[in-house]
Order: sequence, then structure tokens, then C-alpha cells
Amino acid sequence: MNPQLAFLIGLFIVIVALVLTRRQWAPAAVHAVPSVWRIAKITVAEARRRRVIQAVVILVVLILISMTFFSYLSPQEQSRMLISGGLAAITVFGILLAIFIAAFLIPQELESRTVYAILAKPVRRFEFVLGKYVGALIILAAIVATMTVVLVGVLMLQDSLVQDLPDSAFNPNLKGVVFAAIMNYFAIAVLTGLIILISTVASTTMTVISAFIIWAVGSLQSTISDLAAHAELPVTKALLTVVYLIVPKLENFDFRNEVSNFVPISYGTGWEAVIQGIGYTAVVLILASIFFNDRQV
Amino acid sequence: MSSGRSRKLILGFLMVGILLMLVPVQDRIHRARPQVFDPDRKIKRVSAISVGPTPAVIAALGGFRTVAADLLWLKAERVWDGGSWWAMLPILDAVTELDPQFVLAWQVYGWHAAYNLHAESETIVDKRYWLDRGVTILEKAVEANPDNWEMIFELGWTLYDRAHEPWRASEYFYRADQFPGAKSYVSRLYYRCFEGVLDFERLFPALEYAKGRHTDPNVSDDVQHQVIANRDYDWWVQHKDDPQEHRRQIVLENTKRAERSVPFYLYPDDPYWQVCPICGLPSPKGSDVCSVCGAPVKQLSERAGRPSPASIPPDRTEL
Amino acid sequence: MQENPYLLDTRISGPIYWCDSGGKGTGSSPAFGRHSGIGDFVSKHGGRRQRVASGEIVLQTDGLTKVYRSLFTPVGVKAVDDLNLSVRRGETYSIVGPNGSGKTTTLKILLGLIFPTAGSATIFDKSIADLSVRGQIGFLPEDAYLYDVFNGEELLDFYAGLFGYSKRRRKELVDELLSLVGMQANRKVPFRECSKGMRQRLALAQALVNDPELLILDEPTSGLDPAGRHQMTRLILELKRRGKTILLCSHFLAEVEEVCDRVGIMYRGRLVAEGTLSELAGEPTEIVVTTSGIDAMRAEQITSHSGVLGMDDGVVRIGHESAGELWSVLETIHRAGGKILEVRRPRPSLQDVFVRAIRQDAPEEAQ
Repeated sequence: MNPQLAFLIGLFIVIVALVLTRRQWAPAAVHAVPSVWRIAKITVAEARRRRVIQAVVILVVLILISMTFFSYLSPQEQSRMLISGGLAAITVFGILLAIFIAAFLIPQELESRTVYAILAKPVRRFEFVLGKYVGALIILAAIVATMTVVLVGVLMLQDSLVQDLPDSAFNPNLKGVVFAAIMNYFAIAVLTGLIILISTVASTTMTVISAFIIWAVGSLQSTISDLAAHAELPVTKALLTVVYLIVPKLENFDFRNEVSNFVPISYGTGWEAVIQGIGYTAVVLILASIFFNDRQV
Repeated sequence: MSSGRSRKLILGFLMVGILLMLVPVQDRIHRARPQVFDPDRKIKRVSAISVGPTPAVIAALGGFRTVAADLLWLKAERVWDGGSWWAMLPILDAVTELDPQFVLAWQVYGWHAAYNLHAESETIVDKRYWLDRGVTILEKAVEANPDNWEMIFELGWTLYDRAHEPWRASEYFYRADQFPGAKSYVSRLYYRCFEGVLDFERLFPALEYAKGRHTDPNVSDDVQHQVIANRDYDWWVQHKDDPQEHRRQIVLENTKRAERSVPFYLYPDDPYWQVCPICGLPSPKGSDVCSVCGAPVKQLSERAGRPSPASIPPDRTEL
Repeated sequence: MQENPYLLDTRISGPIYWCDSGGKGTGSSPAFGRHSGIGDFVSKHGGRRQRVASGEIVLQTDGLTKVYRSLFTPVGVKAVDDLNLSVRRGETYSIVGPNGSGKTTTLKILLGLIFPTAGSATIFDKSIADLSVRGQIGFLPEDAYLYDVFNGEELLDFYAGLFGYSKRRRKELVDELLSLVGMQANRKVPFRECSKGMRQRLALAQALVNDPELLILDEPTSGLDPAGRHQMTRLILELKRRGKTILLCSHFLAEVEEVCDRVGIMYRGRLVAEGTLSELAGEPTEIVVTTSGIDAMRAEQITSHSGVLGMDDGVVRIGHESAGELWSVLETIHRAGGKILEVRRPRPSLQDVFVRAIRQDAPEEAQ
């Protein structure tokens, strides 16, 4: 394992141990778990009743099913199209739903004042932020899982229907598809954390706009680093370099290309990205709690 | 400043510090992923997608280059069906720029240039150009997919079958054969490169090598490979010094060329072959006599650093 | 309570309100004129039974100040200015004031929703920053908005869950609270389909989920129709009867008069007056009897009575010092053939007190 990553994991373990062993912090940490869970549950229950989310998921399922209509292509091409298109749909809609769910979580509570009834109870502000985040994670996990199951089902169905040619075979690459979907979920989790951080200080509209910008920049990291390398003005160069370094590299979680082209996947790199993503998200949520702690509601 | 506030500030700075420490970690992971980190190609990619339909452009800009490549590939299919072979080129170029791991696209692109457009060309210069271009495309493909044996094989095959550069081809066949998934015919083509030019110095080691590959008696493909490789080995051991056989081999080689519609007037520029003014058939460069008819041949320019083919046995005088 | 025979007729013909802490009544409560049985009349100030707080201070603010500053107002706007108030155990204290006087800001500071610029506050002898304090408080926010996709049962279950109650206890609590606020029949109605009255009652129920010792209610009757206001007031009185300490914010002076023991008047962030209603309003100076059916000749019989100050249009005024002669006056009216419609002891209404207090503070504003 890379020494930098090992150092960060060690630091994280030390911080957690410190929190749990300090007498005044341990009870707070213990109290936090059920509070966070309760708020997460109500967040999930609320989202389940929102028709919009259900409608989008149904739309994606229909899109995935409609991708099977490329029968004039060779089996190899069909499998590639289905995998790349299916994973693209899961990525796009997963991120869109993540943005619209996460951006409205806290600002919506503040605007509708439903937060008063909660914060007037013995609920700490960081428990509220964390509970909202965990709730969002659960909702998004369900959404991504649903879409992935449908895609896997479609691939398996197509595999059984398509007759392989001698020089071209339908390859569903199910293991790769599931891995790519899981990695995509972690990218969404990182992005959601960042959106919640922004939402603790900004309005809903600003949060949504910022989220889209972060997604766009996070998906085009290489282009930005290239532009930074070729920039003529030092100001532009500095700005682009800062943007490249600060915005989370969501591309690290992107395995769609490998899976679509049946290229061997470097699983190790993926899991490294997950570990640093967890660290990144933890830090972001701590910052969000700090900001929300001082926020006058 | 209250202790609470200062605590918050310290915590905040600590968090920002950790975030900054995570930056090089993220960067390192990013650079370890050639699939996503490819700064040199990105700018070219943006211009390449201008040939595509709007959804492809949007997809490419949004970071969905695989989907954009798929959409352009479908467009290429439509153009192919429409018969506009020349129009396919920029589309295939865009597809391979967007998704360099799309092996099928590279295969079609390289083949399209080296075979179809070569055949469609009317002048030697044009034919040579398309052949060279096809080889260049496939070289780029191998550079982008160094671990894909099919891609390496494709380049080797084009060099062997179309460009008639058996020694270069043999290098690629050998390289492709090192991958675990390589089919048995790759190792056989490796030695066939040397058969055609009667390079016995390399042929026998290649035959030994091919015999040592694919030895699993439970796999029917391996069994067949062993049969063919051993048969060829025994044949060449028996006929190594047989001039009749040599001539037959060269005629066979030339016939194959004829069957593939490779015009012999290609050969004035060919680095390995020279055309005999008497019989009009090609024979390997480096020898003073035609390997087919035995007539003396004027030496044409020789490619530096390339091995000369085995000389023809001196007692062959008749056709 | 013994029924007064003299009031038998009048109860049929017009509104008479019985008043005890349970608030038995018919129809809406008026702004003024609530009174108890006549037997208690003399001894009770303003016709109401006044609660005596137990003495222990449960909530205290000390110089509480909140200044809102922004780029455009660098000097700042003082929403709460050096507020010193205290609430005793068992009492119902109301903060009244016009819109923008800082009532809601004060409540939000006490609940930790916003942070004071200066000063401090304690609840149950603990700082308001102490999270454990919230376990003993119930808060009903103004225009209470709860998650609109859930029904009453689900909402109360969620809020009960925040206190860590077991599933069985939560179920019991939900049933108890729904029946307390009269929402048993509508427990499955989603919040967004509830009427304003139902919403306020559910919001009150969520404030009671932890059986708090201190209830903080921000404009509990705002936006309600008269029936809704009456229901809410009855609920508050029931809670009061159960011994809850209640801090209430309102600009409905009528409801304040009905339920509160002490009142604090806030204006422009400052507490400009504080005390019981009697202390603020002062003692009543006369007793007023409304009659009908007395002609001018018989009227003289009445006005000649020693205790009577005067009679106008059927309204007989008796001086406070002649309260002992009330029976005799009533007898005279009855013998004169008149019908007694109403007997009351008017004192300056809270509205009058309010205006007076503001006038003292900002004469030009009170105009």
C-alpha cells in the first residue's frame, strides 16, 4: 500500500481512538449513533414518498431496457454498447439524483422550518448533518442498486438471446459491470458529502449550481490539468492548477471504460480511491458540522 | 476569543490540512489510471468529436467518451452501409481518439486504410500511402493497447499479409504470443514469416518455439497446433537444402501475393523484395540472382540494418 | 359550583361564561367578560382564579442581547436588548408585543437555534448551551411545519424516537398524545392534508412527546379560526392544570388574558412592562351590570340607590367601594322589573395596558 495512504489511514484511526477514549467525547459519540440513525431513517422515509425520485428511477429502468434494441450489430458490439450505455445511464442519473437529493436536504429543512422541531430536541447539530448524509447514502444506494440489478438482468437476458458468432461473442462482463457500478456509487457518496458541506452555508440554488460545476470539473480533471499545463497567463495557470488539485477527482472512481472494453481492471487502484474517498468525505462532513454548528437557524 | 471558538478554528484548520494532504494521494491514483488520466489526448479529443452527431459531442464534453465513441461507431456503421468509404476515416479517427481502448474500432480503421482504401487507390504512390497509413494507425493502436494481444496481432498480420514486411511482422507475432490469451495460430504465423523468405537461421528456432507452445493434450486446439507445428518442422528439416522446394516456396509466396491482389509494381519501393526483369516475379532482396528464374538481378536499394535473406543454392539453374 | 338563581334567566337569553381553570364554556371565548360564578365574584380579581407560582425559577435571562449585523447594517439591528426575565415553576408566562418586537428571537435564543450577542440565560439552572436542557423542554414553533408527507402517527413516532424511547413506549406515547390533542380519528391523515387547526395540535403534540417540564409556545393560536383558537386555548389550560411551566409568545391579547399568570410586554427588543394582569392593569374601579326592560321611571329607583354611580342605556355602574351592596342593587333592579343580562368588573384590558406601555416607551409610535 502506498505510504501516503497508509499514513492517512493511521491518522484517521488515531483520531477515532482519541474521540472514543476522551471522557467528555465518548458519551457524545455513543449518543450520536441512535440520533443519526433516526434522522437518517426519516430522511429515507421522506424521500421514498417523493414521487419525483420514483419516476426518475422508472425512467432509467426503461432506458436500460430499451438499449437492447441494437440487434443489427455483432454480439461483441452489442455487449459493448449495452455495457457502456447502461453504465453511462446509471452514472448520469445517479449523479443527477444525488445532486437534487443532497442539495435540498438541509436548505429545504431550513426554509420550511422543519429543522426547528428537531434542533429544539436534544439533537446535536453534527448529528443532524451526519444523519442527513447517511440518509442520502441509503437512498442513493437503493437507487444505484436498483439500476445495477436491472442492467445485470438485461445483460443476462441479452446474453441468453444473442447467438454468438465464431469470431464475435456477447460478453456481459457482469463482474466488471457490478464493480463499475459500486465505484460509481462511491463517487456519488463523495460528491454528496461535498454538496452537503456547501448546503450548510449556501442556498438551495447556489448549492445545485456548485454541485454541477464540481461534477463537471471532477469529470474533466485530465482536460483541466492539460489546460493548466498549456496555459499562457500565470494567473490562469495558477487558477486551473488550484481547481485541479482541490476538486475531488471523481474520475478515480470511473471504471466504465475498462469494463466496456473488457480491459483488465486494476481493482487495487479502485479500492485505494475508495479509502481516500472515505477520508475525504469524513473531513468534508466534519467541516460541514463546524459550519452548521455556527449557523443561525 | 472563547475556548469553544478557538477549538473550532483549530479543528477547521486541521480538517483543511488533512484535505490538502489528500490531494497528492488523489493525484497519484489519478495518474495510475491511464484510462482516465491522459492529458495529451484530451485536447485533440475535443476537436475530433466535431464529426459526430450532437449527442456524441455532448457526451464527450460531459466526460462520457465511451458513449460518444459508441454513437460515432454507429454513425460509422451507417456510413459504411451507405458506401462512403472515404467518409468513414474521420469518424473512425474520432472514435479511436475518444476511446483508444476500443479494439474493434482500431482493427477496422487500420484494416480499412491498409486494405480497402489501398485497393481502391489507383496509383502506386496512393497505394503505398494507404498501406503506410494503415500500419501507422495500427502502431498507434498497439501503443494505446500494449496489453491487448489481438491489437498486436492485427499489426503483425497487416505487416505480414499486406505490407510484406515479414521480419517486422514476426516481432509483433512473437510479442502477441507472450500473452496468455493468444491463440495458437499466432505462434504458427511467427515461423511462417521466415518460411516465405527462407530465413532458416530464424525459421528453425521459431519452429522450436512454436512446438513448445500450446501443449495441453486435453485442448483440441492445442492438439491440432502440435500436429501442424511438428509437421512443418519435419518438413523443413527434410527440405532445408532442397532447391526445388525453395523455389516452390517462393512461387507459393508470390502466388499468395497475387491472390491478395498485390500488384508487383509495388516492389520497386519495397525494402525486402526486388522484381526480376526477366520473369517479372519478386524475389528477396540481397541476392544477385532471381530466386525464381535464376537470372541475374540488378541490386536495388537495401534497407539498412535489415538481415539479407538466405542466399539461393548455387546449383539451381533451371526453373 | 352553586348555581346562582339570579342568573338562570340570563343564561338562556345570552352568553354567560363560567370560568374555572378547565374553561367550561359554550362557543367562542370573547375578548372580555369572562367571569366565574357570582359567589366567587368579589374575592376573585378580574373574575379569574389566579395561580400562585411555586417560587422556584426555572428560566432566567440575564442581559440577553441579540444584534443582527450585516454588510448593509454594520451598526446592527438590536432584535433583543438587555432582556431580563424569569419564569417560575408552574406558572404561565406570556411575552406579548407587536410584530418585530423580538419575542420569537428570544425564544429561538433560549432554544439554541440562534446565538446571543451578549448576556446569558439559564433553564433549570443549566446554561442554554447545555444539550441536556432540551430534554426537559417542549417547543411549539410559530406556524409549525412538520414533514408534510407523514401522518400524525408517524411524525410523533419519529420525534419520540429522538428521545430514545423504546418501540412499545413510543406507541403508548403516540396514542396518549393523539388523544390529548384530539387527533385520534385523524392519525392517518398526512400532514399536508390537515387543516391549520389539526396541524397546530399535532405540533403541540410533538412538543409534549418527552413530557417536558417547560413548554415554550410561539404564537400557538396564530392562523387559527375561532374554534381552533378555543381548542388550542383549552389544551394549554389543561397543560397548565397538569402543572407544566409554560412560556408563551403571542400577539393575541385575548388568549394571553385567558391563560397567563404573568405577562411581559416587549417592544423593540426590550421588556417595557412585566407583571400579573392585575399588577399591569390595576384594580378594577367599578362593577357594571347590564340590564334590560327598565323604563325611565323605574330607572330612577335604581340610580337613587346609594351604591350606584350611574345608569346609561340599561348599564348600571356600581362603585368598587360599594361592592358589598351589589346584592341590594340587583334586588332593586329585579323589583323594578328589569332583566339582569350581565354582571362584570371591567378593568383596563391588556390591550389598554399594552398601548399605555408602548406609549411610555415611544410616544410617537403609540399614536
